[in-house]
Amino acid sequence: MELSAYAQGGWRLLGDPRRFPRRPYAALLRAAFRSLLDQPHAALDDPDLKDIDPTVLKHCHAAAATCILEAGKQKADISAISACLEDCKLDKERIEQFCTEYQKNKDALEILLGSIGRSPLHITDVSWRLEYQIKSNQLHKTYQPSYLVSLNVENSDSGSHPDVSFSCTMEQLQDLVGKLKDAAKSLERATQM
Amino acid sequence: KLNIGVDAVQHGVEGLTYLLTESSKLMISDIDFQDSIHVLGFSDELNKLLLQLYLDNRKEIRNILGELAPKLPSYHSLEWRLDVQLASRSLRQQIKPAVTIKLHLNQNEHQTAQVLQTDPSTLLHLIQQLEQALGEMKTNHCRRIVRNMK
Repeated sequence: MELSAYAQGGWRLLGDPRRFPRRPYAALLRAAFRSLLDQPHAALDDPDLKDIDPTVLKHCHAAAATCILEAGKQKADISAISACLEDCKLDKERIEQFCTEYQKNKDALEILLGSIGRSPLHITDVSWRLEYQIKSNQLHKTYQPSYLVSLNVENSDSGSHPDVSFSCTMEQLQDLVGKLKDAAKSLERATQM
Repeated sequence: KLNIGVDAVQHGVEGLTYLLTESSKLMISDIDFQDSIHVLGFSDELNKLLLQLYLDNRKEIRNILGELAPKLPSYHSLEWRLDVQLASRSLRQQIKPAVTIKLHLNQNEHQTAQVLQTDPSTLLHLIQQLEQALGEMKTNHCRRIVRNMK
């Protein structure tokens, strides 16, 4: 696992006990993880960080975030992360602190990274309506059941998207369900391989 | 060839069209049809001819009239494909199964195709929900309504 020169520079600062005593170091690690995972804006207000020079703080925060994301992206194991941080002259204790914090947040990080990217509209739910048609102004005595199916879809970028709606007869709905069941059966067979 | 004026032919065609479409729209019985045209004072032979014309073409006329009603896009067919995502720019070493679906719909005479995707658990949920929908027509409630509406 490799980090850019800028990130390595930030880690060297983080490893320096004169610039970053123990408490601020721990606080910065927490802040870096929080800012990526749940609070993109809050993060750096921790009182333990108030004595650190703001430019240094920004540099170190960026370095920490870069390392977290790179490790997450590569699914790096502890040894790879440790080796990388050793190159930045961090002592064993600080490396261990980072790895512990990383292990705690690994799953959430993986979910976050996995959700980034383009994909076709994603179906999240379906609603349906059954009606019995009696007549229209053009045609009386139609007497036919009809289904209105609405697929709730989400866009990977913007999140929302108008539903995909369509009408169908009973036979058509049976065809639709039949095909979906074929897909499900194939899926089951594939997972057993 | 008919040796009649253009106006007469036009009125004749319009009259026949109106007769056939109205009768088909209302789905009137043979007797009601015969009673209706009786007032025109035509010969028995002509009346029989008109009745036969009505019965022969009723189904097709009703199909065409059915197309005129307000409609939403309707289902045509569906294709599916199983995919497994292995990696992306932001995350390597993934195993993420997905079902990709191409939904073909008919809208006002042209066909549209939309590509959609879903995950395995949502697929099972969709199947369960739609099977429930299909089951509704067989319930006593729906059966009673269908029986009483005829």
